[in-house]
Amino acid sequence: MSNTTSLPTSEAPAARRLPGDLAIWVFILSEMLVFAVFFAAYAFARAKNVELFNEYQQTVNRDLGALNTFLLITGSWFVVRAVQAAHRDDLPAVPRNILLGFLCGGGFVVVKIIEYAAKFGAGITLSTNTFYMFYISLTFFHFMHVILGMVILAVIWVQARKGAYTSRDAHGLESGAAYWHMVDLLWIILFPLVYVMR
Amino acid sequence: MSGAFTKSMARNIFYGGTVFFFLLFLALSFDTHSQLPKRDMRQNITPQVAEGKKLWEVNNCIGCHTLMGEGAYFAPELGNVVVRYGEEGTKAFIQARPKEGIPGRRSMPQFNFTDEQLDAIVAFLKHVNSINDANWPPNSQG
Amino acid sequence: MQYKSQAVAKPYFIAAIGLFVGQILFGLILGLQYVLGDFLFPAIPFNVARMVHTNLLIVWLLFGFMGGAYYMIPEESETELFSPKLALAMFWIFLVAGALTIVGYLAVPYATLAELTGNSLLETMGREFLEQPLPTKLGIVVVALAFLFNITLTVLKGKKTSISIVLLLGLWGLAVFFLFSFYNPVNVVLDKFFWWWTVHLWVEGVWELILGSFLAFVLIKTTGVDREVIEKWLYVIVTLTLITGIIGTGHHYFWIGTPEYWQWWGSIFSALEPIPFFAMTVFAFNMVNRRRREHPNKAAVLWALGTGVMSFLGAGVWGFLHTLAPVNYYTHGTQITAAHGHMAFYGAYAMVNLMMISYAMPILRGRAANSNKSQVLEMWSFWLMTVAIVFITLFLTAAGILQVWLQRVSDAPLPFMVAQDKIALFYWMREWAGVAFLVGLIVYIASFFVGGEEKQA
Repeated sequence: MSNTTSLPTSEAPAARRLPGDLAIWVFILSEMLVFAVFFAAYAFARAKNVELFNEYQQTVNRDLGALNTFLLITGSWFVVRAVQAAHRDDLPAVPRNILLGFLCGGGFVVVKIIEYAAKFGAGITLSTNTFYMFYISLTFFHFMHVILGMVILAVIWVQARKGAYTSRDAHGLESGAAYWHMVDLLWIILFPLVYVMR
Repeated sequence: MSGAFTKSMARNIFYGGTVFFFLLFLALSFDTHSQLPKRDMRQNITPQVAEGKKLWEVNNCIGCHTLMGEGAYFAPELGNVVVRYGEEGTKAFIQARPKEGIPGRRSMPQFNFTDEQLDAIVAFLKHVNSINDANWPPNSQG
Repeated sequence: MQYKSQAVAKPYFIAAIGLFVGQILFGLILGLQYVLGDFLFPAIPFNVARMVHTNLLIVWLLFGFMGGAYYMIPEESETELFSPKLALAMFWIFLVAGALTIVGYLAVPYATLAELTGNSLLETMGREFLEQPLPTKLGIVVVALAFLFNITLTVLKGKKTSISIVLLLGLWGLAVFFLFSFYNPVNVVLDKFFWWWTVHLWVEGVWELILGSFLAFVLIKTTGVDREVIEKWLYVIVTLTLITGIIGTGHHYFWIGTPEYWQWWGSIFSALEPIPFFAMTVFAFNMVNRRRREHPNKAAVLWALGTGVMSFLGAGVWGFLHTLAPVNYYTHGTQITAAHGHMAFYGAYAMVNLMMISYAMPILRGRAANSNKSQVLEMWSFWLMTVAIVFITLFLTAAGILQVWLQRVSDAPLPFMVAQDKIALFYWMREWAGVAFLVGLIVYIASFFVGGEEKQA
């Protein structure tokens, strides 16, 4: 695996390099910055209302959250397998694994909708209290990222079926995979922060 | 570095990112609209309040004053003026402006409002004051 | 000049500079009224002068944008403009409509103007920056549509570069979001909510696409850096702009009756708004450092670098200063906002237009660049105006901090006018900085007329 954070160097193509496009890393970093600020705001707000946060944290569905964590990690695993398949030129395995990753994302969306339906059905909105404001804002913001990640996976799937990604050039695949891993990573921070930690 | 930085990728992210954040903005705006009736006191918007808003606009009050902090910073905030001066005090102030201004001082024009117009303006300002604006301004001085 | 039809940009640029002068003169009147309250009262009350000041700003920037687009698009699309005649006709319509509007502001009381122009048919007047009478607003729509029609068809029949696509998106966005100026519900919260869809989504949204596109164009021309590289970074920067700026609208939704979650959303996203401006500065300096040629027009390069730095300071840093909700609770609607507004508008939009004019005008006048003498003068004007705006901003910031302290924070808050009297010294200093700005502007105009030995195109 060439999974490293060193910058690409034009002189030594064989050296350890950044997978995917540099451009996608600019955006991944800025997206992570947005979430980082959001998480910091959450921590700040929680510190001022610990009791309120602890009380309402009991009301969120941790089981569904855990199920979603499992789905996203599994999805990431399939995406990794797709990249590996491309690197060893196992072309049919690439779209298959991407599709499986996409389906995991779809599972996440379904579970999330069930979770939201229960909350919105109970009349909870962004304005209910500070905890729910953060709960809905963070999870919905992330939810939209999952959907965007799925759109990207779908595009990559179409390309992969045409055999676009090989050991010689897998930049597009790696870029999309990197984005999907970011979506996963953000959830792995978000889930304990909002659902579990108290 | 074999295409480690393609323009088409940057372009796709531009389109995707723009649509993404605009949709998010629309979602938040939609939620805002469903919440506003609890905050904007729309049930109290009488024809008189509407007339007051119109007078507020056609006399370009916002060209000197702020309303809930928005406008020009030449003259005091008026979103809470009924708290500061009272309704009658506000009317009396508007009526008492000298036509030629006050020498050396910032002066408000004399608009020659009728009594009905003054009532409407104050009704509008009273309405604005009743809006739940997260407890702004910090004190009655605006 | 590569294409004959680019010449239509010239009158637009001249009008832009003329209106800019008007804007500054009225700015000086306003500054004086801050300290000599009865100056010109009741002939030109503050609100009228302010309306003229801000509306002239908007109109001259629009003239600059249109002129810049008419200059740039044929060169980018590698084809003549679809209709130079339409462009010229629209120039005169816009200029006359603009002039009549300003005359209207100055000649009759605003309420009379509203009555004469049919405001009762559709009440849109009397809102900050959107004070234009209904016919003017409709005129703006007509001019904008004709302009967009002309530009879009030019791009469609020619080469579609990324720079022109970003510009088109910015210009179309400008026209679309202006339509919200026609929506003025009687519910003042809704009114304010959508008012920002024009105002914020212009200056912290689509206008930045125009800014980025102009900057990228001039950088390509003056540095000779590969177009692919510049266009890639253009996309990166405008993406960062929109992902922070769109939700960043929320920083206007703190205290106008909108739900309180906007305090979080608005603070978080607008806290990130300096990033695209910072990226723009780095981008401009990087491209200039990597230049492959020495363009004879040094002044244009200076404006390009200047707009990066000043928009970062004015929009980025001064915006961030008061954008977090707990800070904004105290600074909202004070001279801090005025300080930010002055530097941001100058740094981002005045300077990018001056950059475009600086680059294009010599070519429109048949030379690659102005004479050395003229450029030296132009660079003097750059420093005079820029340093003056820095001081205006600093003095207003000082005034604002004191105002916030005296009127909002202290244990015994003072009434507005009492606080204003106590900070009059800073308003005097601001006015003198404004005079320095005017001197810079006069030097700028003089630079067009000094002659000297010019490099041939």
